Amino acid sequence: MSTIDLRTVTIKPLRHTFTHVAERIGGDKPATRYQEGTFDIQATHNFHYRPTWDPDHEIFDRARTAIVMKDWYAFRDPRQFYYGTYTAARARQQETAESNFAFVESRGLVSALPEAVRHLALELLLPLRHLEWGGNMNNAQICDYGYGTAISQPHIYKAMDHLGIAQYLTRVGLLLADETALDAAKQQWIADPKWQGLRKYVEDSFVLKDWFELFVAHNLVLDGLLYPLVYERIVDDDITMKGGSAIAMLTLFMTEWYGETAKWVDATIKTAAAESPANAQQLSQWTREYLQRGVRAIQPIARHALGANAEAVLGDIEDQFKSRVAKLGLAL
Amino acid sequence: MDMPVAKKKLGLKERYALMTRGLDWQTTYQPMDKVFPFAKYEGIKIHDWDKWEDPFRLTMDAYWKYQAEKEKKLYAIIDAFAQNNGHLGVTDARYVNTLKLFLNGISPLEYMAHRGFAHVGRAFPGVGTRVACLMQSLDEIRHSQTQIHSMSNYNKYYNGMHSFPKMLQRVWYMSVPRSFFDDAVTAGPFEFMIAVGFSFEYVLTNLLFVPFVSGAAYNGDMGAMTFGFSAQSDEARHMTLGLEVIKFVLEQDPDNLPIVQRWIDKWTWRGYRVLTLVAMMMDYMLPKRVMSWKEAWEVYFEQNGGALFKDLARYGIRPPKWLDQIEFDKDHISHQAWSTLYQYGGASNFHTWMPSDEEMDWLSAKYPNTFDKFYRPRFEHWRDEQKKGNRFYNMTLPMLCQTCQIPMIFTEPGDPTQTCYRESTHKGMKYHFCSDGCKEIFDHEPEKYKQSWLPVHQIYQGNCFNPGVDPTAEGFKPLPVVLDYYGVGFGRDNLDFEGSEDQKNFAAWRGAATTNV
Amino acid sequence: MAAVAAVKPYEFEAADRLENFHGNQLLYIGWDQHLMFCAPFCFPLPPAMPFRAFVEQVLPGAFGYHPEFKQIDWSKAEWLASGQPFKPDWDKSLTDNGLAHKAVLRLRTPGLTGIKGSAT
Ligand SMILES: [Fe+2]
Ligand SMILES: [Fe+2]
Repeated sequence: MSTIDLRTVTIKPLRHTFTHVAERIGGDKPATRYQEGTFDIQATHNFHYRPTWDPDHEIFDRARTAIVMKDWYAFRDPRQFYYGTYTAARARQQETAESNFAFVESRGLVSALPEAVRHLALELLLPLRHLEWGGNMNNAQICDYGYGTAISQPHIYKAMDHLGIAQYLTRVGLLLADETALDAAKQQWIADPKWQGLRKYVEDSFVLKDWFELFVAHNLVLDGLLYPLVYERIVDDDITMKGGSAIAMLTLFMTEWYGETAKWVDATIKTAAAESPANAQQLSQWTREYLQRGVRAIQPIARHALGANAEAVLGDIEDQFKSRVAKLGLAL
Repeated sequence: MDMPVAKKKLGLKERYALMTRGLDWQTTYQPMDKVFPFAKYEGIKIHDWDKWEDPFRLTMDAYWKYQAEKEKKLYAIIDAFAQNNGHLGVTDARYVNTLKLFLNGISPLEYMAHRGFAHVGRAFPGVGTRVACLMQSLDEIRHSQTQIHSMSNYNKYYNGMHSFPKMLQRVWYMSVPRSFFDDAVTAGPFEFMIAVGFSFEYVLTNLLFVPFVSGAAYNGDMGAMTFGFSAQSDEARHMTLGLEVIKFVLEQDPDNLPIVQRWIDKWTWRGYRVLTLVAMMMDYMLPKRVMSWKEAWEVYFEQNGGALFKDLARYGIRPPKWLDQIEFDKDHISHQAWSTLYQYGGASNFHTWMPSDEEMDWLSAKYPNTFDKFYRPRFEHWRDEQKKGNRFYNMTLPMLCQTCQIPMIFTEPGDPTQTCYRESTHKGMKYHFCSDGCKEIFDHEPEKYKQSWLPVHQIYQGNCFNPGVDPTAEGFKPLPVVLDYYGVGFGRDNLDFEGSEDQKNFAAWRGAATTNV
Repeated sequence: MAAVAAVKPYEFEAADRLENFHGNQLLYIGWDQHLMFCAPFCFPLPPAMPFRAFVEQVLPGAFGYHPEFKQIDWSKAEWLASGQPFKPDWDKSLTDNGLAHKAVLRLRTPGLTGIKGSAT
């Protein structure tokens, strides 16, 4: 074998990609790894047995949501995430996060934080560990019940992102305080009145049967209100102004992650809404309902962190959210 | 000021516990049973989810970092392999047929494992368990995609790989691996963990991956070898999870033992039946053989598995049932399977062939008690007929086992000359099985296995034709339309290796490589 | 037989019930000691088909590749149905021979032991 120089041969391939991929990209031509690793990978027919955990449906079943698509591979992840690109992107982000944590630690920036800021950061960020855990559960659920790899795949990535974020928040807690702060925050999450709206919102989402409704409830509405509020308006604006830019460094991952992930959430809603007026109406109805509940749920947090400014900020966030979803084809 | 000045350094275990444990809480706005509706129906009793020992302590940031590094290296090799026409470096184009088996029959199941672990991860109320399962879910989509991406280059030059998702769902013998996984994912979360996490990942995985990965290495396939090696560190984690789950469940409540034991019996047998395809691959499809199926079984099951079950004995677990039959059959199943795929070579997506004299001698040496007596006469007869232009293509559809869905090719324990028939009657209808194992599995859950999508019966029901086909038309020939439905191109994807496009192209391309320099 | 553990009643129609076969029923047949045919065969047949037609018109297409098929002395052939001795009436239908949907037959041909006596 070593005597043969295989590189010198020019041979004409029989085909450029898989048949099912070619059918989706308009003919036999080179396809991307995202396309080859995504299209039609999930089984759709000739299932052998009904699930013992859901005898009314097939293992993968279009009927698990009210959203109707002619082709569930109409969805595209604008980030083109397959496992390789996903881990590469997150590895880069975690490197930045790592150096930010190292920077804050090595410069002693924590001890330089005004006490009020440190206190607020702990009070605000640590209970969110549990909310992120809820995000992990809900996205695992959508990955499980979603139909077609194009839409189920990004949800395992997002599920693990939420776990990663919960772990970053844990590290923030351990950096700003110690383990006892984690326990205290859990107590707040469970019993403090200002967190109960959010906790109820999340617990109610745990029992949703329609996975696309769950997508709207968590990934569109809850993320869409909470990330702008917590990381943009409270941490990046308010806390930074009060001398807490170290906190903003420690949560940079979340800010960037939200910016990136929202693009995919938008693309997903847009595709589903554009499919049919019925879809658009259903999505609008869900969004309207969860928006109302979501705004109510985050209000006490906003008031606690922003005081008199809270209503104005919430108003802004709600307006921004409404104009965002209007662009996606929803009518609130 | 309550600020701790010097913090105590947390140990790895402590730190990992803080990163995961306690993230969950007892829900009160919705009852826990509604939030976790699948945690109890299988009858497994868990009293304390916190007793779960995290088998690996990997936070997400570390996971992203390590895995991204592995991906970078792997894809660099895949790219180089493609650029350098690495496929022309394999021993012989027959080798590519093992990849067809793998891409069609295994990669889509890696994907199923991904979805299955997402399902059970969500279903378990315990945090440690969930994190471990979801991480495996993420790994499994990796495996399916790295396999697809590695073999993408082969698909450009060889037949039989172009429609793998369709083939898994339609081609007759593919219902064997597929129904195995459908069975596991439709079970409850605990059974899934014993099926896939324990029986498959822990007990049987070496019998699947070692043959393919070392087969690739022995046959000059750097591309496939590399994804195999790259998956190994993931597999190490998965095996640990498989073992942890069984110990955890058994330690939680003595009532769990009989349920778990039955699952171990069932899933070892189910898995072993699927491995028939691997046995055949090892003994017949690798131009350069690694070891025989029998040797692999002895090393990876009898020795390694023996030690495992000794270890589990302290929980009251005994070795899986029907091992005596497996022990007897290890001299037979690879030959029986190759006979099957050879004669039904008109209806499958890869090429088959009769072994050369030299290969038959290797088989005689590896199977001194059985090959010459039972199988060599069969193969020599077929080879002679093939030389006369009368190559055996069996055109009559076989009877399948209701449970494992393999044609009824297996013989009576102790009598390799007699087909093994077993049957049960359920609600007035007969069901047929290849073995005591498959019959017992059915008898325990007839409502499940009566649903089996058996390819032969489905053809006869008229469910394996593309839309527009009229089976009542004058002169209707089922085979071509069934192949159409399968996505199998007649004369390109199927039939004998001798005279195939793969064979001709490989020879021409290799020839060009040796003469053009 | 035990029940399947499930979150709600778990009962379905059998995938292979008789009415799914467009008027045919399934009949399986294996030829003992002739493992050249790797497994018994499966046929969809009209229940009214005479046993003779099954043997004379259906079996040659399935077993005819074997050099011993022509040597079968049908008067000495032995039959098993579901493993029990079975004496078919060649002129009666499958149904009248007691062969219902998914019946399984074994054909035994004493003296014929397969290629080189190897049960092939
Ligand atoms: Fe895997
Ligand atoms: Fe079986």
